Amino acid sequence: MFDLLPHILNGLTLGLLFALIALGFMLIVGLMEQINLAHGSLFALGAYFAMQLMGSRPPFPAELAKAWLALPLGWRYAATLILAPAAVGIVGIAIEFCMRRTYGKDPLYGLLLTFGAAMVIEEMIRLTWGTRDYVLQVPQAVSGGFLFQDLIWSTYRFYAAGIAVAIIGLVWLLIEKTSFGATVKAGAHDSEIVRALGINLTRLRLLVFVFGTMLAAIAGIIVAPIWGIRPHMGVDAVIPAFLVIVLGGVGSFWGAVIAGLLVGLSVGLTGAYASEWSLLSMYVLLVGVVTVRARGLWGKKSVLEA
Amino acid sequence: MIATSSNQSDSARLVTPAMLVLWLVLATVPLWIARVGLYPYLGIEILIWSLYALAFNLVLGTAGLPSFGHGAYFGIGAYAFGLCQFNVVANLWVCLMAAFVVAGLAGALVALFISHRRGIYYAFMTIAFGQIFWTLAIKSHKITGGEDGLLKIARLPADFGVTSFDLADNVAFYYFVLIVFALAVIGLWRLVHSPYGRVIAAIKQSETRAAHLGYHVWLYKVSIFTLSAAVSGFAGGLFAMAQLAAFPDVMSLHQSGYVVMMTLVGGGLVSFWGPVVGVFLFLIARDVIGALTNAWMLYFGLLFIAVVLFRPEGVAGAVTAMFEKQSAIRRQGHSAMRLLFGGGRWR
Repeated sequence: MFDLLPHILNGLTLGLLFALIALGFMLIVGLMEQINLAHGSLFALGAYFAMQLMGSRPPFPAELAKAWLALPLGWRYAATLILAPAAVGIVGIAIEFCMRRTYGKDPLYGLLLTFGAAMVIEEMIRLTWGTRDYVLQVPQAVSGGFLFQDLIWSTYRFYAAGIAVAIIGLVWLLIEKTSFGATVKAGAHDSEIVRALGINLTRLRLLVFVFGTMLAAIAGIIVAPIWGIRPHMGVDAVIPAFLVIVLGGVGSFWGAVIAGLLVGLSVGLTGAYASEWSLLSMYVLLVGVVTVRARGLWGKKSVLEA
Repeated sequence: MIATSSNQSDSARLVTPAMLVLWLVLATVPLWIARVGLYPYLGIEILIWSLYALAFNLVLGTAGLPSFGHGAYFGIGAYAFGLCQFNVVANLWVCLMAAFVVAGLAGALVALFISHRRGIYYAFMTIAFGQIFWTLAIKSHKITGGEDGLLKIARLPADFGVTSFDLADNVAFYYFVLIVFALAVIGLWRLVHSPYGRVIAAIKQSETRAAHLGYHVWLYKVSIFTLSAAVSGFAGGLFAMAQLAAFPDVMSLHQSGYVVMMTLVGGGLVSFWGPVVGVFLFLIARDVIGALTNAWMLYFGLLFIAVVLFRPEGVAGAVTAMFEKQSAIRRQGHSAMRLLFGGGRWR
């Protein structure tokens, strides 16, 4: 039993990362009933922006670049965690402006629109940065490893898992415990009444969408040191994110978190015994669950299943 | 909305004027395709993908079921064709049949799991199964050749007993594919306009209503998915012949996404011919824009976004709308005539 522990821990940290990746996707699905297939590309874009900011040639005017590079690595990293998602948020605004036209229609159109956006973003990434792999620098404090029970553990994995827990907690507080969250949820439930109450639903939706894209970018920055930065990372992220949401059930916050953990565990454990098939395990898990439960684990009724 | 681009009398026909025109134009393709700077192989590719997209549209357009992992069945058909050729018997008809049957079986298996599901859950189950088949194809080195693909598939001669045609040449193979395509189009046209096809269209409008009318919705959903997978597999078998190999690439999510794009850009949701229009646009855009810039996906992506935003019913839908407007004018003209002449003879 004890030699299983590393694999279980590994699976759990991976699961938290999956939950983090799915978070922005879940927000947009749960609160706007729109599927954002560009989620993965925005995730990748976040990682690329961060890599550019952390690298030796930041995208600033010369003076500012000098001052920026003079900052200690830790400060730069902290600033990047805010600046890169903000830049991705601007892309999110552009997508939302296009997406507006599809509200109220078959959700298929939103899905297809974002699929096109994903293609465009991925191709732009290829054009700008090429197809090579990049590495994201991280501060000394969170890189490296430590010894525990005669095994070497990567510090970064635990740092990333910790960040994931913190962000999941913050998002939960925002949705469940603030009046902003209440309005947004009400808007998803009955947009007409919310509008009649004098709330600017258009702006609200824009905010939710941009928030979702920024979460995607943050997830990209956190996951990048583990997965590496390459154009394909967007697709590698959006599929598990989509899977986690479907497995957890549309409209369920904790469903998504638990589903993320389950997916992480199944990938981690299969990886330990049959690494060839580790990615397959999550699809088998999904098929197993959704065959028996029509709406995933704890899904609610939604227009997405019309 | 079960708008079909054709009028009522066409839907009762075995062969419509539109089909005849299309086939005649397609039959002349090898004569001029090299002169406009393209190549005969592109013609083959377009025909095969058109067949695949038409089969796919049975599920997406006719039945309104979002299937995003259809590449799997296309790929399975290609592998089945190759494996049948190597391990069972190297006969064209048997191997094409194998592609049809094996892909159909895979489709039936998936359909059994998913046909009670709806919307996003249905869509993602198709993705999940697509990914499962794709992973299996990549990882089973011994059977499928892994990522290198199943190589050295031969274009078997079309043996009619009395006489036999060699298909190794691209032009000969083009005509073979064209004949197969023409027959398949007739079959699909009849299927969509049969009582069975009408029930499928009713299910697209409302599953609940169709169920209340006494139709066994689940069975219809399973059968249309199976059929679509089988025809996709058949197209995959032809594709294996065209490429002389079968690769896992066509089963990937990207490629499954392309067939969705082609079908929608063309207007598969409102028109029988939509998928064919889409395949033409997509493959020709790939070659023409691809020759000018290596970022052709960027431009096609932008075009796709524009179509979804401004013409969600696709090219065929836009053309149909134009024609309908014109015929409305003509009809008004007729009624004006009727007023003038005071007779009912103009209908």
